[in-house]
Amino acid sequence: MSTPTDLKFLVVDDFSTMRRIVRGLLKEMGCNNCEEAEDGQVALNMLKAAKFDFVVSDINMPNMNGFDLLKAIKADDSIKHLPVLMVTAEARKEDIVLAAQSGAAGYIVKPFTKATLEEKVQKIMQKLAATA
Amino acid sequence: MEDIANLRPADALAVSPEVFQQLGTITRLLHDTMQQLGVMPKLQTATEGLPDARSRLSYIATKTADAANKVLNTVDAAKAEHHQISDATRAMAQQIVADPVKAVASGAVMNFVHEVEASTKRIDDHLTDIMMAQDFHDLTGQVVAKVVTLANDLEDSLVKLLIQVVPEGVRGQVDPNVLNGPVVNAEGRTDVVTDQGEVDDLLASLGF
Repeated sequence: MSTPTDLKFLVVDDFSTMRRIVRGLLKEMGCNNCEEAEDGQVALNMLKAAKFDFVVSDINMPNMNGFDLLKAIKADDSIKHLPVLMVTAEARKEDIVLAAQSGAAGYIVKPFTKATLEEKVQKIMQKLAATA
Repeated sequence: MEDIANLRPADALAVSPEVFQQLGTITRLLHDTMQQLGVMPKLQTATEGLPDARSRLSYIATKTADAANKVLNTVDAAKAEHHQISDATRAMAQQIVADPVKAVASGAVMNFVHEVEASTKRIDDHLTDIMMAQDFHDLTGQVVAKVVTLANDLEDSLVKLLIQVVPEGVRGQVDPNVLNGPVVNAEGRTDVVTDQGEVDDLLASLGF
């Protein structure tokens, strides 16, 4: 089973501060292989151009939002296997349901703690290992 | 909505006189209501404040972004100092275990003490910088208060105006999704979650 430290992460958020915080937390979890994208479109291009193992994405972003990114990932055979963890300030139940139905691997509402992020990443990795 | 530029004079002539009569009545009602309620001066003050509100909000965005970057940069620097102390402590412990007399006689112990002292001073400076970076809260808090007052005045004026002029049948048809985004106050709402536990419960109920 892969551990988070072996994985290459893509953190997608239009706020550089939040990208930096998520990246910093992943680093503290031992995940040093991490890249950033400022919106869904940039992220999708990066995912198609290079190999990634895990996507952590915001929802409200310009150009392409997190839902559209999620749907685009799940519609592309070459990257649809990637787990996508949504990290967002959107707390509406219909958004959570939509994310789950669209294929999100997890959903975290901001503000969140390091423990929550760590728990969700571990849980998703365990699920992937179980289904592999 | 139909473009006004596409309307031909014939269209206007085809409109019945009752419509003009009704428009005139609504305009008079609107004017009288605004005068009676004292809305006009207040509304004017509020709209004049809008460009200022935009610059105030930009100021808040800049100040908070600067503060966040300063804190993150300083934390990185403090963490690096902390790692240095940890490494130096481990190395010192190994030297003392291997040959305590040599460790003292060679001056390694005193060098270590001075190194730790200097490093903790730098960490203390970083912590002070982090503390000082929080000054944005005071500055932006004052600005936020002014913008909130302006927004309240504008909302108050518009609501009074709306209540007076909106037709009976369409009252209460305001789109509840207009203010989507972070939920500031979830009290009494059933369409939003309030914490991560509720997110997990909802996902579990969906089989995730």
